[in-house]
Amino acid sequence: MIALVEHLWSDFMPLLLAGMVVNFEIAGVAIGLGLAFGLVLAYAHLRGGLLGNAAASAITLMRAAPTFVVMFFLLNALPRNMSISGAMTVALSLLPYSAAFVADSGVDALRHLRSGSALAALQFLPNVMRAFFVLVMSSSAGAAIGVGEGITAILHEAELLPALGDRLVLFAIGVASFGIPLQLGFALLRLIQRRLGLLLG
Amino acid sequence: MRIAGGLALAILTVGFGTPAEAREPRSPDAALAELLDAARSAGCTSPGADRLIRVLCAGRLRVGVREYYPLFATRDGDVRKGYEVDVARDVAAKLGVSIDFTRVNAASRIPLLAEDRIDLVIATMGHNTQRDGQARFIRPHYYRSETILVGPKALAIADWPNIAGRTVCVTIGNGSNADLVAHDARLLLFDEAGVLPDRLKDGTCSLAAQDDSFFAEAFTHPDFAARFGQKFGFAQVPWGMAVERSGSDKLARALDLISQIFHRDGVFLAAARRHQIATGFLEEQQKVWRSPACNTDSGNTDADCVLPALDTELEPTRFAGIVKAFEDWFSEITGIELSLPMLTTVPAWSLLLDGIGNTLVLIGGALLATLLFALGIGAALSSTAGPLRWLAKGVVVLLQSSPIVLTLVVASAIAHALFPFSATVALGTAIAALGLANGSNAGQAIGEAMLTLRQEGANAHHGQTLFARAVGRSATQIVAFLINAAKGTPIASFIGAPELLSALTDITSFSSGRATTYTLLLIFYTLVVMVVVAVCRRLQAAIESGRAAS
Repeated sequence: MIALVEHLWSDFMPLLLAGMVVNFEIAGVAIGLGLAFGLVLAYAHLRGGLLGNAAASAITLMRAAPTFVVMFFLLNALPRNMSISGAMTVALSLLPYSAAFVADSGVDALRHLRSGSALAALQFLPNVMRAFFVLVMSSSAGAAIGVGEGITAILHEAELLPALGDRLVLFAIGVASFGIPLQLGFALLRLIQRRLGLLLG
Repeated sequence: MRIAGGLALAILTVGFGTPAEAREPRSPDAALAELLDAARSAGCTSPGADRLIRVLCAGRLRVGVREYYPLFATRDGDVRKGYEVDVARDVAAKLGVSIDFTRVNAASRIPLLAEDRIDLVIATMGHNTQRDGQARFIRPHYYRSETILVGPKALAIADWPNIAGRTVCVTIGNGSNADLVAHDARLLLFDEAGVLPDRLKDGTCSLAAQDDSFFAEAFTHPDFAARFGQKFGFAQVPWGMAVERSGSDKLARALDLISQIFHRDGVFLAAARRHQIATGFLEEQQKVWRSPACNTDSGNTDADCVLPALDTELEPTRFAGIVKAFEDWFSEITGIELSLPMLTTVPAWSLLLDGIGNTLVLIGGALLATLLFALGIGAALSSTAGPLRWLAKGVVVLLQSSPIVLTLVVASAIAHALFPFSATVALGTAIAALGLANGSNAGQAIGEAMLTLRQEGANAHHGQTLFARAVGRSATQIVAFLINAAKGTPIASFIGAPELLSALTDITSFSSGRATTYTLLLIFYTLVVMVVVAVCRRLQAAIESGRAAS
C-alpha cells in the first residue's frame, strides 16, 4: 500500500494535476462563451417581443440539451473542414448549459438592476462562480472522447492497477483532488454570499 | 487460320475440355503452360480478345498498386518497394512480360480496372462478398490480414472477455467494429487509421483496433514496439489480386494458377519475409498448396483448398426500400444528404430498438433512484441521531466532490468486482450512480429544509409529518436534480450501458450517416428531457399545491 501511494504521489500526481489544468481551461472557455451568449439572450429575453420569445425558446432548448450528447454531436456532425480540438469540443458542448445558466441568472440580475437594486443584482457574480465549478466537474466528460484531462489521467492509471483495492485508493485520490478545490470554491462562494447578504441588509 | 486454331485450342484447354471428373488431374504448372502457349499463339488483332492475349501481345502488364502503404507498397521517386510490388514483379516475370505500375487507392482501384486503365490490381484489397460483384478476385489469395488489438504491454488483455466495457479506438467503416460491439467494447471513432499510433502514444487511446498490415509499420519503430504490443487478432480478411470481371477469363485463370504455384513454391512467402510482414497465413497456405489434393489445375476452384470471401452483407430491413426512397426524396427537395443507416439493416435496427428501450429504462430508473436516494439521504440528514447525520453529510460531500464520470467509474469498478460484465449490470450500475449523485444533492436540500422548519419551530400538522413538509419545501430543488438525472443519462454509455448514444455510436462505426445520426440523437434526448421537465414541473406543482392546502 505504501509503495502504491508513493508511486501515485511521484508518478501519477503530476499527470493528474496537469490534466486538471485542462479541466479548468475547458471550464474557463465554457463560462467565457456562456457569459457572451447568455447575457445577449438575457437582454433579448427581457426586451420581449418576437426576439424575446425566440431568446426564451433558445434558453429552454439549451437547458434541455444533454451535455454528453451535444459533445458527441459536435464531434461527429460538424463538417470535416470545421474540425476543432477535443478540449474545445468539450468546452462548446458545455456552452448550452453555461449560456442558459447565465441567461437565467442574467435575467434576474437585469430585473434587479432595473428596479434599482444594484446589490441584489450582484448576486449574479457568485452564481457565475458556482456555474464555473459545475463546469470544471462536467468537463470530465472529455474523458469519453480522449481529451487529456484529469479523469483521463485517473482512468489510464486505473487500467494498470489490476486489484480493486488499489483502484479504490487511486479513485479516492482523484475524488480528493477534484473535491478540495471544489469545496474551497464553494466555501469562498458562501463567504461572498454572506458578505453580499450583509451589504443587502 | 492460325488465329482460329489457337483460340479453339485455348477454349478447349480452359473451359470446354474434358469434364474434370473424366480426366486425370494435371499439375497447375502444366495447365498454366498450356494456357499461355494457347494465348501466345492467338492473334493480337482479334477484337474482343481476352486481356491475357492483350497483355502478352503488348508485352506489358499494367498493375495498380498503392504508393504509400508501408511494407506493402511504397514509392520513393522512381523506386517502388514492398510485398505487393514484389508480387506484381513476380507475376509479370511468370507471364514473361514487363510491368507498368499505376498508382491506385482504396476508392480508385476497382474503377480503374473497369475503365481498362489497368489489367490487374494488387492493392491491399480485402476480398468480400460485396466486392465479388465488382471485380474478379484471384484465388488462392495472396495474403490475409486480420484486425489486431494493440495496447500498452503492461495492460493485461488476452482475449474477448477482457474487452467488455473497455474503450477501443477504431476507424469508421471498419467491418471488424461489429465484432468489438458484439463483445461489449465501447468505441471511440476516428476518421483515419493514420492517427491511431499517435493516439496510443499520447494516451488518448489505451487500446486501438486496426488491420495488422497497418500496425506492421508502427511495430518497426523500436520506441513503439517497446511500449505497445498485440493483444489478440480477429476478423481475418483474405486479400485478393483482382482483374476486371468481363473479358478477363483467361487472365484470371492464369493468375489463379500462378497464385497457386507461388504459394506452393514459397514465392509469396519469400517476398513476405523480405519485407518483414506477418507470414503465418502464407506458411499455412504453403502446406495447403503442397498437398496432392490441392496441387492440381482444379485446386483453385476446390472449396476445400481456397478460402471463401468474407461475408459482409448486412440483412436489409423489410422497410429498407421505403427508407431509401425517403432519403432520396428528402435530398432532392432540400439538397441535404440524409442517411438513416439505423433503419436500413436488421443489425442496426435491432441496436436502435434496444438502445431506445434501454434509454427509457435508464431514465425511468435514474429518476426513481434519485427520488429514493434523496428521501433516504434527506431522512438521514434530518435525523436527530448524530452519527447517522454525520455519516450522511460525509456521503454528500464525497459525492459532490466527485465528477459524475468518476462516480460512474467507481461504481462500475465495484459492480464488476461483484458481477461479470453484462448490459444489465452496466445499466443497473449507471442507475445507482446517477441516483446517488443527484439524490445526494436533493437529499441535502431536504435536510436543509428540515433545519429551517425546526428553526421556525414548525410541527407536523394536518396529517403531514415534519419530514413530508421538508420534502414539500425542497420540491424545487428535488425537481431540479430529477431533471439533472434525466439529462445525465447519456453519460452511462461511458461505462458500457447500452443506451441510445452507445447504440448509435455502434451503428455509425460500421455504416455511414454520422451527421444525420447524431443530429437525430440530439433531438431525441432534448425532447425526452423536455418531457421529463414538463412531468417534473407538474409533480412540483402538485407537491406545492398540497403544501398550500395543508
